Amino acid sequence: MNAYHYHYVPMGESALDLVLPNKIDVGQNQLIQTVGQQLLAQKIAGVTAIIPAYHTLTVNFVASLVTYGQLTQVLDRLIGDFDPQQAAANSRVLAIPVCYDPEFGPDLAAVAAYGHLSVGDLIQMHTQTKYFIYMMGFLPGFAYMGTVPKQIAMPRLDKPRARLEPGSVGIAGAQTGMYPVASPGGWRLLGRTPLQLFNAQHPQLRYQAGDYIQFTPISKSDYQRIQALDLAGQYQIKQTILGDG
Amino acid sequence: MATIEVLNSGFAATVQDLGRYHYQSAGFPVSGAMDQASLKLANLLVNNDANAAALEFILAGPTLQFAAPTFIAITGATANPTVNGQSVPLNQALAIQAGDQLQVGPMTAGRYGYLAVANGGLQVPVVLGSRATTLKIQLGGLFGRTLAVGDGLPFEPAYVLPSLAHRHAQVPAVKAPTHIRVLKGPQWDLFTPAAQSQFLQQTYQISQQADRMGYQLQGEPLPVPRENLISEGTVLGNIQITRNGLPIVLLADRQTAGGYPMIATVIGADLASFVQMPAGQDFHFELTDLTRARALLTRQQQALATLAASFAAQKYQAPVGPARTGAQKLAQIITHGG
Repeated sequence: MNAYHYHYVPMGESALDLVLPNKIDVGQNQLIQTVGQQLLAQKIAGVTAIIPAYHTLTVNFVASLVTYGQLTQVLDRLIGDFDPQQAAANSRVLAIPVCYDPEFGPDLAAVAAYGHLSVGDLIQMHTQTKYFIYMMGFLPGFAYMGTVPKQIAMPRLDKPRARLEPGSVGIAGAQTGMYPVASPGGWRLLGRTPLQLFNAQHPQLRYQAGDYIQFTPISKSDYQRIQALDLAGQYQIKQTILGDG
Repeated sequence: MATIEVLNSGFAATVQDLGRYHYQSAGFPVSGAMDQASLKLANLLVNNDANAAALEFILAGPTLQFAAPTFIAITGATANPTVNGQSVPLNQALAIQAGDQLQVGPMTAGRYGYLAVANGGLQVPVVLGSRATTLKIQLGGLFGRTLAVGDGLPFEPAYVLPSLAHRHAQVPAVKAPTHIRVLKGPQWDLFTPAAQSQFLQQTYQISQQADRMGYQLQGEPLPVPRENLISEGTVLGNIQITRNGLPIVLLADRQTAGGYPMIATVIGADLASFVQMPAGQDFHFELTDLTRARALLTRQQQALATLAASFAAQKYQAPVGPARTGAQKLAQIITHGG
């Protein structure tokens, strides 16, 4: 048995929240992702959707088909059976190409100065870390990822930019993220990926919570080439399994 | 497949079903009908599944021309619709002939109206398991946007449908509620006892900042908890208290995650009357418990189930007009050459 501290709270009569301690922690989040997937795999009549987040798992259900008490019993059992080693070893690592050019990364110089680094060292620091996707949300394809090395964890801009282009890659404190669609935003921009992260005609996403993302630096000419390949549907994201590497 | 031509788009009309539920974990808003009870009723009246795609319109409905016969039903906000200039009732199945013009016109009470079409509803493409429109990301519905003049909404004509004309529902006139029942939210305990009782005792109104994402309320600001929260999942009806101390109630197009404290959640049984409430109308929140919230929702669902059973119990009705089926087959052969 695992000794996790958690509790449940109703979110209206048709949803509940599994709540773990209020912290950002990979192991705790892997429990949430795993338990969420296993709950869906049970195909319990009435369970309609889950939203895994940093420290919560929201479960939506049809109150006339399944009760709060039945669901918390199932969740208790899944949490008790959770195997942290297996969850960690099975994680996917996806390589996302990013062009760190000042045209795409208007905050490169500012973040480098913040970290007392050259721009080259900043790029190396941003690309050597495997970032864990804790949750997806607020927009389709927006991944909340961490943890950015402390030296370059520069806070958000005081005044958000009115428009960030799709594919923009930036940091906000210890978080790093990519904008799937154009949006206002206050994140410090370091570069841009040529990959299409969201397409309303083909809305399936290429990564999910529980995956790791590692950014790969590319040149501007690679950016053009990969963008063309990707638009033609011929670009495969390089994928490895964490436990294999 | 036939089409409904849009002669006048009305205001912010979109195709909606019960929502794109399964992709919230990837960040996709659920969307779907704001007033799900009215959508379900409209679909029942024309013998559709509850989740069939219908047209949702806000404050002013569209004018439409049908290229083929079908049955329709209009529910939700109060309006005075006409077919070919003749007044027709709400909350009833209406027989439509090829060439008929439906004018929904302005809503006189409530905000959201629904138009359901028989034989499976509006046949726009299914995207990630749903036909619901999410305007912000141009997803689903008709090209991911609101209706425009000249659009054609695809539907399956009902050439051989038995009459649904006996289907009608007694729906009380739309009346703004004086209280909206809630359950404690995940961050209820972060608010001081004084803030909790102020939340339940004071009068709120829906502000002008009210759309499919959420309704901002006006009232006296609450003291906001100082705790720094990390983002978590949201559900329909969550009441967030933003930094200015005022509530926002999260609705159909809500973001899937939020970082503001959620003081309470509107119960399912009161969501429809809440979304239909006009701006500026006084109401207050009343705390209830899980057992009561479930019972109220069950009662609402049973009322719809009873209506469905009464429709099913009525004996088979011949196709409308003695020669409806034959004449329409003939029309089809003439038009399409068999």
